[in-house]
Amino acid sequence: MPDAPYWPFLVYATLVLTVAGGILVLSSLLGPRHQERVTGEPYESGVPPTATARLRLSVKFFLIAILFVIFDLELVFLFAWAIAIHELGWPGFWGMVVFVFILAAALVYEWRMGSLDWTERSAQARLRERREAFAKRQQENAAP
Amino acid sequence: MTAADFQALLPFMCVAAAAVIVMLVISFYRNQTLSAILTLAGLLVALASLPIAWSHAPRAIPPLLRVDSFALVHLALLLVGTVAVTVFSQRYLEKYRMERGEFYILLLLSALGALILAAADHFVAFFLGLELLSVSLYVMVGYIFVKEKALEAAVKYLFLAGLTSALLLFGLALIYAALGSMEFSALAAAVAGAPDGLSPFLVAGMLLVFAGAAFKLSVVPFHLWTPDIYQGAPAPVTAFLATVSKGCVVAVLLRFFAPLDPASQTGLFSALAAVAGASMIVGNLLALLQDNLKRILAYSSIAHFGYILVAFLAGGENGPAAATFYLVTYFAATLIAFGVIGYLSPTDQEADTVADYRGLFWRRPGSAALLSIAIFSLLGLPLTAGFMGKFFLVAAGAAAGLWPLLIILTVSATLGIFYYLRIIIAMYSGEGRKSEGRTADAPFAPTSATVLVLLAVLLIVIGIAPEPLLAFIQAATTLAP
Amino acid sequence: MMLPAIILLPLLAGLVAWLAGRWSATAPRWIALAGTAVPLALTATFWGRPAEGRWIAAFGFDWIPAAGISFFLALDGLSLLLVLLTFFLGVLAVGVAWRQTDHRPGFFFFNLLWILSGTAGVFLALDLFLFFFFWELMVLPMYFVIGIWGHEHRTRAAIKFFLFTQAGGFILLLAILGLHFSHAAETGLHTFLYEDLLGGALPAGTAWWLMLGFFFAFAVKLPAFPFHTWLPDAHTEAPTAGSLILAGILLKTGGYGLLRFVVPLFPEAAAAFAPVALVLGAVGILYGAKLAFAQSDLKRLVAYTSVSHMGFVVVGVFAWNTWALQGVVVTMICHGLSTGALFILAGSLQERLHTRDLGRMGGFQVLAPRMTAFALFFAMASLGLPGLGNFVGEFLILLGGFQISIPVTVAAALGLVGATVYSLWIIQRAFHGTPAKGATLADVNFREAAILGALVLGLLGLGLYPRPVLDAAEPAVRWLEADAARPVPVVLAVEPPPHPPLP
Repeated sequence: MPDAPYWPFLVYATLVLTVAGGILVLSSLLGPRHQERVTGEPYESGVPPTATARLRLSVKFFLIAILFVIFDLELVFLFAWAIAIHELGWPGFWGMVVFVFILAAALVYEWRMGSLDWTERSAQARLRERREAFAKRQQENAAP
Repeated sequence: MTAADFQALLPFMCVAAAAVIVMLVISFYRNQTLSAILTLAGLLVALASLPIAWSHAPRAIPPLLRVDSFALVHLALLLVGTVAVTVFSQRYLEKYRMERGEFYILLLLSALGALILAAADHFVAFFLGLELLSVSLYVMVGYIFVKEKALEAAVKYLFLAGLTSALLLFGLALIYAALGSMEFSALAAAVAGAPDGLSPFLVAGMLLVFAGAAFKLSVVPFHLWTPDIYQGAPAPVTAFLATVSKGCVVAVLLRFFAPLDPASQTGLFSALAAVAGASMIVGNLLALLQDNLKRILAYSSIAHFGYILVAFLAGGENGPAAATFYLVTYFAATLIAFGVIGYLSPTDQEADTVADYRGLFWRRPGSAALLSIAIFSLLGLPLTAGFMGKFFLVAAGAAAGLWPLLIILTVSATLGIFYYLRIIIAMYSGEGRKSEGRTADAPFAPTSATVLVLLAVLLIVIGIAPEPLLAFIQAATTLAP
Repeated sequence: MMLPAIILLPLLAGLVAWLAGRWSATAPRWIALAGTAVPLALTATFWGRPAEGRWIAAFGFDWIPAAGISFFLALDGLSLLLVLLTFFLGVLAVGVAWRQTDHRPGFFFFNLLWILSGTAGVFLALDLFLFFFFWELMVLPMYFVIGIWGHEHRTRAAIKFFLFTQAGGFILLLAILGLHFSHAAETGLHTFLYEDLLGGALPAGTAWWLMLGFFFAFAVKLPAFPFHTWLPDAHTEAPTAGSLILAGILLKTGGYGLLRFVVPLFPEAAAAFAPVALVLGAVGILYGAKLAFAQSDLKRLVAYTSVSHMGFVVVGVFAWNTWALQGVVVTMICHGLSTGALFILAGSLQERLHTRDLGRMGGFQVLAPRMTAFALFFAMASLGLPGLGNFVGEFLILLGGFQISIPVTVAAALGLVGATVYSLWIIQRAFHGTPAKGATLADVNFREAAILGALVLGLLGLGLYPRPVLDAAEPAVRWLEADAARPVPVVLAVEPPPHPPLP
């Protein structure tokens, strides 16, 4: 490899810089420049915005997404193993057993921690909290 | 994979199994003490399995790992460090009402990453180990999320560590581009085959890899994260950051750079020398300006790894041994220091300003004596291990003729006296009234006290009779180039 | 086994004293007294014992063979005298601190004993690594003594002391390692042993730099002009016992290092450097005397006289002939006794008056006649009155120096005039004149009189009959000269070469 010519690398780097820099320079040269009352507003198909773009999503979605990514991606290894199953033989099999066991352990953990519950427990918990907070406030009001 | 391979890998498997077991146990029965005990048990079994692994050393586990005496010495060091951190954490976390068991899973996983680094013989193992270590650490740094500082530190650490992972990966890609292989031995062969200079890809790759490692070591100019994160992280995590997560990187760097000959790689080595010199100067100078004990120790650790780089640059027969020996002394002293800080911290904040330690010697003579021994060792006073460590380090540098670096070391270490003495002065002045500093009053738990006293005894025993340890390390760390 | 015991006993006694201090305020004092008196007695048993070869006694084992380090202690006449001085002043320091240290006596005596142990180790260690070990060991306890029990500006003085000596220490470390490795490169022998390193044929450039490193470390400790700036602060702020140890013993380690290491290890480089060192010594003598005269703080004044007296040591060492070297030995001992005594007096004045300002003293002759007599005696000793020890030492140095450089000797002799001025200045300001109205001053009590009396006897003995001390030092000095005169490594003759008789 040390003998390989470097110039393609240089050409490539130059191209990258030229294109990236060129786009920036061109857009600043050719782009319109004006500062009106509504210039800063987001353009929503000609309709003035009616509410903030930041919607509240249940945090559960993120959790589910992450769990999906974790377990789904781990499964990719199973495919890789399946392709080479004959070459790897029994050691490969036991290796995979350990791997799946660790995944299963993680799943057990997630399950016991309640990550897989969508509403039930959390709704109950929220209710309980609200009830407790209410009782506490009443106590405080009653105290003085 | 043969039975011998498995036996050589026992330490790793013990730690990994402990992590899974702790996770399963937490799922059904949540108890902090139980988690800590299981973690300790896993680590101790791993330590106990080291002799078995030793009997099979040196053994290459192709292609990723290499379990030889050098790796095993570092494994032992890292495991002992993790044991101490576990014990400190158990007491520290008791103060907080939160889910505490997961901390130990993370601790075991990052310890596993550190172990992999110490035995890495392949760039993939290097990267895997480093990521396992870092990802767990992000969470550990911010584990006490009710503290804003801890959260801030965790986010900072996440961003910067992510950046360095990218740098490291880029370096690996360049090395792969130049060599077509990612084994350390391929690098050694490439270097031996081109005595008059390496290809620019390879040098750039090695520099980038070094940059990634330097971030973990927090040497200048990759040191900017250190003080904030040391300060924000819970004290036991800081202890882990300062010791285990740096020690394993030293191990991998020693192995990585062992095949290189300083004489033929002047460019690379002068860059390293510049890093070492700058770390010593910047670390010691900036530590002078701090009022916070954790920040002082952060900057001083920058300087200490500058010192270790001197031994590292010295290379040859003495370099790796001196660096490893110094690492042992640094581990023991740093663990004591952060252990005591964590111990003395009340629940609402860390006891980490120098003012908190005013009159500590008269208030809590035991803690103050432990902290003093640690600081004396970091300062390198006789009868402590730090003296011997510094001596062998300077001796290795002198044997390699690194006089400019040694002079920088001398001057900056002299500056370092100031900030260490400030802590000592604070502890020994005052009258010992409780109002003088915000430290917890709780007596030492027997476990923490045992670990701290053992570490302190170790510092003093090494300071008086370093021969057994030194001879052992010298025999074990001779790296075949 | 006696030699390690001399070092270990104070170490152990120090630990015991510290522990005992938790339960009793008086126990640490008695333990400290025993911890200094017993080593003194042990050392005294070597007095008059004939030397076998070079050493009167030696003790050694391999300490860290992996790095070529051994634990080698040896005693010759020079070490013997200095170790005796160490523990003699150590006993007196315990006596001085008997009443003055009510604040945490256990820890105080711990530090005191560890300083003494480190100093004794410095005088006995003849493996350079071991030497460096003890050299560093004595620094930190001294730092604590100044920093905890010192006077008003103690923290600053303590840090300054620590910083200067550590800087010197690090340079010394580099120089020792440089010597070790260049010696190994020349001979293939990895050793830190003094006797093996002697006469190594080093390249001239290397020898020059290494010699400068050693010289710097010892010059800071001594202290020689221009490295003396830590000394006035440290002396002034230290408690009395600390000043006594500092002036009496710690400074001597610098002189000892110059004698034992700088010239014998690097004879050519030292000879080339001698003109500079001689001038530095002479400047130190005059400059110290001049600054002493300008002080109004009594302890500071005495501190500057130390700078002046240590200039004589530098001149003597670099004059490097038997007379001058004998003079150096005697001067070091007598300076320890006389300056130590002046610090004790200054300390007891401060204890009574709570000031060290000469401007607020006067007329003590009337109030405290016994103290005045002692003060006059030690001032006379300090100015070099014939019949007292300092005269013998300074005279020998001037005699030796005269053969090397007349201008330097003349300048040094002028320093004696300066000494007369500042010594009499103390007497005149503090003791003569009329006391202020209503002023009272308790005279020296029995304990102080015993301590000062012991010092008086020592100085008188050295002044009137210095023969035993000179005889004890002579073989050691002649061995040192033989080492320095050895051009190339040769097998060491058991008998030192013949030498002209002493005056």
